[in-house]
Amino acid sequence: MAKERKIKILVTKVGLDGHDRGAKVVSSLLKEAGMEVIYLGMYQTPEAIIKAAIDEDVDVIGISYLSGEHLIFTPKIVEEMKKNDLDDVLLIAGGTFPVEDIPVMKEMGIDEVFGAGSLTEPIIQYIREHVREKR
Amino acid sequence: MNKDTKQPEKNTIEVNWDDYLKAYYEKPQSVKSWSGYDLKEIYTPKDRTEENYEKDVADAGTYPFTRGIHKNMFRGRYWTKREVIGIGSPADTHKRVRYLVEHGGSGLNTIADVTYEMGLDADHPWAVNEVGLTGVNITSIRDMETLTKDIPLDKVSWSVITASTAASVSMAQYVSVAENNGFDLTKLRGSIQNDPIHFRYCGFRPACPLDLSIKLGSDVMEFCTRRLPKWYYTTVNMYDLREQGITAPQEVAFGFGIAMCYIDELIRRGLDIDEFAPRFTFYVSCHIDIFEEVAKIRAARRMWARLIKEKYGAKDPKSMQFRFAVHTAGCSLVPQQPLNNIVRIAYEGLAAVLGGVQSLHCCSYDEPMCLPTEKAHLQALRTQQILAYETGITNVADPLGGSYYVEGLTDKIEEDSLKIMEQVEELGGMEEAIRTEWLDRQFEAEAVDRQKELDSGEKLVVGVNIFTSEPEKTTPLGVQRVPEQSAVEQVEDVKKLKRTRNMDKLKDAIKRLRDDAEEGKNVIPAMVEATKAFGTTGELLGTVRQVFVYSYDPMEIIESPF
Repeated sequence: MAKERKIKILVTKVGLDGHDRGAKVVSSLLKEAGMEVIYLGMYQTPEAIIKAAIDEDVDVIGISYLSGEHLIFTPKIVEEMKKNDLDDVLLIAGGTFPVEDIPVMKEMGIDEVFGAGSLTEPIIQYIREHVREKR
Repeated sequence: MNKDTKQPEKNTIEVNWDDYLKAYYEKPQSVKSWSGYDLKEIYTPKDRTEENYEKDVADAGTYPFTRGIHKNMFRGRYWTKREVIGIGSPADTHKRVRYLVEHGGSGLNTIADVTYEMGLDADHPWAVNEVGLTGVNITSIRDMETLTKDIPLDKVSWSVITASTAASVSMAQYVSVAENNGFDLTKLRGSIQNDPIHFRYCGFRPACPLDLSIKLGSDVMEFCTRRLPKWYYTTVNMYDLREQGITAPQEVAFGFGIAMCYIDELIRRGLDIDEFAPRFTFYVSCHIDIFEEVAKIRAARRMWARLIKEKYGAKDPKSMQFRFAVHTAGCSLVPQQPLNNIVRIAYEGLAAVLGGVQSLHCCSYDEPMCLPTEKAHLQALRTQQILAYETGITNVADPLGGSYYVEGLTDKIEEDSLKIMEQVEELGGMEEAIRTEWLDRQFEAEAVDRQKELDSGEKLVVGVNIFTSEPEKTTPLGVQRVPEQSAVEQVEDVKKLKRTRNMDKLKDAIKRLRDDAEEGKNVIPAMVEATKAFGTTGELLGTVRQVFVYSYDPMEIIESPF
């Protein structure tokens, strides 16, 4: 039996916000959990994120928000994903935002949200369970 | 109806009485401090070896100022109650400033948004999405006029939180408005954060190349030393460093390392340490471990006094006094069970005051969700007022001084911070530690450790890994949104200004700025002139960036119009 491919995840910030502690920590811990992580870093546009996701053929995109930019950039990222037929890629978000916005973000097309104060295990578990569903 | 015949109500809350018994006998599982110190169960006189009170501790107001920089501390004056404000447009921010002053805020404190810190005008393609989301963008003198409208700048104490190289422009904009309104610069009281080096670690690397950071940061310091004698021209930001996840001794050591980069540059420029050191201030974090934070502050005061006296040869005691503001630790707050944050913030504010703080920002409870709502902002200010007016902790200077535990921990943190500083020296100094990304690696490793401590339960946070409950559906005092219209209007105003200003006058001013930068002169006077000629943040910074052979636009989209 062929060895199962590692789950591949793109972690990124979007826009100018530079609070990247969370994104980096999540990247490190997902790597430790055996996933292949590409950390795209700061100052990314929705277009650049989706291009990287396609080039790297990732299973998951993880966006880290903090500065209230989540409602501005989420629709743009989802639109880019649709344009490029990335409907089999899991889109998750983390960071700081009001709880009121979590259903809104999901409505916009984010599969799951892990806000500040999340533990790592539920994130890993969620990705492992849902990547297969999508693929 | 006869009471006795009433049926007892059925219990709807199921209690597990075995769990109850466990809780009754429960004891703390960790006896480590937040920064990982193994603590004894009690500290006694034996833990204080060869104490020399006069030399190592001394009364408040006396070198090495371990116990405080003033003899009588808060009996002389309360700390400045200074809540950070920055939301939407300059007009929105101005409104919140007035609101908090009206309710007893004693210091004004406005913060730049990401676009301004990056040195972008509000109409920059990268800025238009994010103007005003996390602070305020000041593109031109017009915005600074709106922000400061009808505020007597010679009476108030204003803390301008612009930290990146854009601080140079902020200072020029503030000075321009003050001069245009006839205020005497020697009477301006306040501070500017102006610590571009640290801001590399807060996501502003394109705006903060190291050489330009030292150049522009030091230009502000030198300018203020000569022109604004009451102004504190840098707030070395240890807080932001701590927020990366590092420990208390690392916070002090890294902060001091960065401060020394500026000091060394000012001395290279020929300034005397006693000319400028009294205007150095620090921004310190207060995290949740109360005693450790107090000990850290006491250690920092002693270390600063000795550093400035022994290494730099200062003679004026004012140079040796570690002046600091505290920002309670935003990263200690969580969105789960958010009202608990009010309690965390109160403990952290308590630590700040026990540590002898000069100026305090208490976070609002909604910090891990959104910008503060008006109610949350007021509640944070009220937390400060309860500390000041109800608790009695202001009565006595350094109330924890002499505690076997706190004195011991003060020594320990000092010892460890000094060790880290030595390590940095061995690497070739802080500039080298930054260039080689040694410092980045420290931050990244520590941040991962902090998350692992949470994941393993080694550190407990109520609502996160203990006493968890169903997630909230709403934020208790509502959510602060940034009015979309504010950004749209600000962008339009900037575009209009750029169409209608006198370009010949501006070109002359920009030429002088470029010339001064090329000749290695202090650029702040030319920035003031260019600001008065309606030059914008992006234009002023871009002009200086080009002289230093960086792209005009940190985001590398716009070309210089000059």
